[in-house]
Amino acid sequence: MIEAKGLSKLYGPFRALDKVSFQVKRGEVVGFLGPNGAGKSTTMRILTCFISATGGTAKVHGVDVFDDPLEVRRKIGYLPQRAPLYGEMTVWDYLQFTSDMRGLDPSTFKSRMKRIVEVCGLAKVLGKDIRQLSHGYRQRVGLGQALVHDPPILILDEPTSDLDPNEKAEVIRYIQEIGKDRTVLLSTHNLAEVEAACARAIIVSKGRVVADGPLSDIRAKSGTVRYLVTIHEQKLYEGSEAYRAGSTRRPPSSDEVSEALGALPGVQRVRELPTDDKAHAFELSGALGGDLREAIFQLVVQKGWLLLEMRRESQTLEDVFKALTRGDERADRGRPLLAEDDDAAAVGGAAAGAAALASAADEDEDEDEDEDEDEADEGDDDAAEENGGDDESDGDDENDDDGDDDDADDDAKGKKDGR
Amino acid sequence: MSATLTIAKRELRANFDSPVAYVVICLSLIALGFTFFYYEGGFWQANRASFEMLFVYLPRGLSWVVIPVLTMRLIAEERRAGTLEMLITLPVKDHQVVLGKFLGTWAVVLGLIASTLLFPVLMFKFWHLGTLDWGPIFAGYIGLVFYSAAAVSLGLLVSSLTESQIIAFFVTWLLLLALHISGMFMNRVDDPSLQQILAFISFDARLVSFSRGLVTTRDLLYFASIAAMSLMASFRALERRKWS
Ligand SMILES: Nc1ncnc2c1ncn2[C@@H]1O[C@H](COP(=O)(O)OP(=O)(O)O)[C@@H](O)[C@H]1O
Ligand SMILES: [Mg+2]
Repeated sequence: MIEAKGLSKLYGPFRALDKVSFQVKRGEVVGFLGPNGAGKSTTMRILTCFISATGGTAKVHGVDVFDDPLEVRRKIGYLPQRAPLYGEMTVWDYLQFTSDMRGLDPSTFKSRMKRIVEVCGLAKVLGKDIRQLSHGYRQRVGLGQALVHDPPILILDEPTSDLDPNEKAEVIRYIQEIGKDRTVLLSTHNLAEVEAACARAIIVSKGRVVADGPLSDIRAKSGTVRYLVTIHEQKLYEGSEAYRAGSTRRPPSSDEVSEALGALPGVQRVRELPTDDKAHAFELSGALGGDLREAIFQLVVQKGWLLLEMRRESQTLEDVFKALTRGDERADRGRPLLAEDDDAAAVGGAAAGAAALASAADEDEDEDEDEDEDEADEGDDDAAEENGGDDESDGDDENDDDGDDDDADDDAKGKKDGR
Repeated sequence: MSATLTIAKRELRANFDSPVAYVVICLSLIALGFTFFYYEGGFWQANRASFEMLFVYLPRGLSWVVIPVLTMRLIAEERRAGTLEMLITLPVKDHQVVLGKFLGTWAVVLGLIASTLLFPVLMFKFWHLGTLDWGPIFAGYIGLVFYSAAAVSLGLLVSSLTESQIIAFFVTWLLLLALHISGMFMNRVDDPSLQQILAFISFDARLVSFSRGLVTTRDLLYFASIAAMSLMASFRALERRKWS
């Protein structure tokens, strides 16, 4: 349904897109992920024929965007970033305007409106001027506008940014509903949304596709599983053999716990997490496919520690995202047009799709090659990488539990990371 | 309805949805009336019943207030607010966007021009203030129709070149100011070729000639080609976004 082949876009000397290739098949709901400035909107604008690519081709519904923009636009419902709508029009008038522009006859429009009003929850605001609406409602009107002609393909550019968590959940629900019988390309930098609405994700960074595949594949990319272990700092388990035997009556120090956990076979790395409880919390990484929980439990029992929490998590999408798009802000985007050799490698990697997902570490090596000035920085990252494939040592641990409710945190972090 | 007309209709409504449009129309009619009847003796000083000056004051008022205000937001504001992206990604061709916006705005200006017909109609049809030669009036209005097409499309062009309504307003205003008063400088320059150019571009000279009953193809073509060229240039300016 959507097919992009080697799309490049230059803004002056600035390379906003660098040979972006991907496909979206009929009926798929695909998350288009990337930090701010990665090139998501640029790609979508090319697909909707608002701007032209500097190089490469794209087809939508089998029609080349360059040859027949009008036909492409007829097949697409598009919601640009921040839902720019005419503020002085009422919601009804605006939707009527869109419908007229698309050449629908009034009776079709009326019958479509029934469903749109229901799906997008617009009943209460139909007569209101758009400028009076909250941002959440504007997004809904924007969604409605994209659905008026019942398009087979929807392209939504950050439909949930700037919304509060309730509104976000709401919009995601609409998208899930809409996506049941349509092809949807949905851009965002919020990962929880992708997990909620999409089966597949394409991650872009610095104008390149860095990952493309089912969420489970992408999640598996870093090849590690995390374990969270929390042990009481001041108490021991009084029923334990060790306790009764009197050999240990002293609660463990954090070093002690850390050392013991680190000594378990299969543990790749131990990192202490800050807690406000009276507890030691640790994050361990283990190999993908293995399960360290048994070993951890046995260790705790044997030592007589009081276990407060133990959890096994596959790598979150967020971790992968961070690993893949790391260093985005240091990107040297002024690369010369003809840096063919390493480009070819990157494109090859991306095009091979889910089957041949290049690991995060590989991607980093690529970066090293084309970003000489950043060599020192990237070198540090690589060092961290060797220590266990996870370099977020900069205190955003409180987000690690990856709940839907800390969207605000996610956004704040996105900004920090994207600087 | 075609996309062009839908856009034109929307522009038209955008202007009339707020009371501002009506206030502007009323105020400009009143201002025009005062200027026409009292400025420098005005209408009452002329020996014959002549509406010649109406056809100078009205377009000046349009050019220096109404048209810059109406055209400044056309594309500049849409570009700034991002609604342009929404509009253009509907199945519509760029030239339809330009044409629709032009038609919608031109229609407003034509409405305003038509409303000034009240002056001669009231005075000579209903109050019977004497006899009037309707020929020059008719010719004058033909001139206004063509002039307004040129002025509106110039404003549209300026608006398509910037993201700022304010800049669009002032540039349009300056441009139209220059086109109106260029005739006045004719006698102040010595270079004959420059004189010719000033005479050629002067809106006022051509409008006066219309108001005397002279409808010439040269004048019609002049305004029509300004309109056509401006519309074409706006289209190019709109298309430029694709490659920038
Ligand atoms: N019209 C433009 N002129 C110059 N640079 C642009 C333009 N539009 C976007 N860019 C740059 O291209 C990069 C990609 O932008 P965009 O596609 O909007 O990113 P995203 O939507 O992923 O946040 C950004 O760094 C942005 O600054
Ligand atoms: Mg964007």
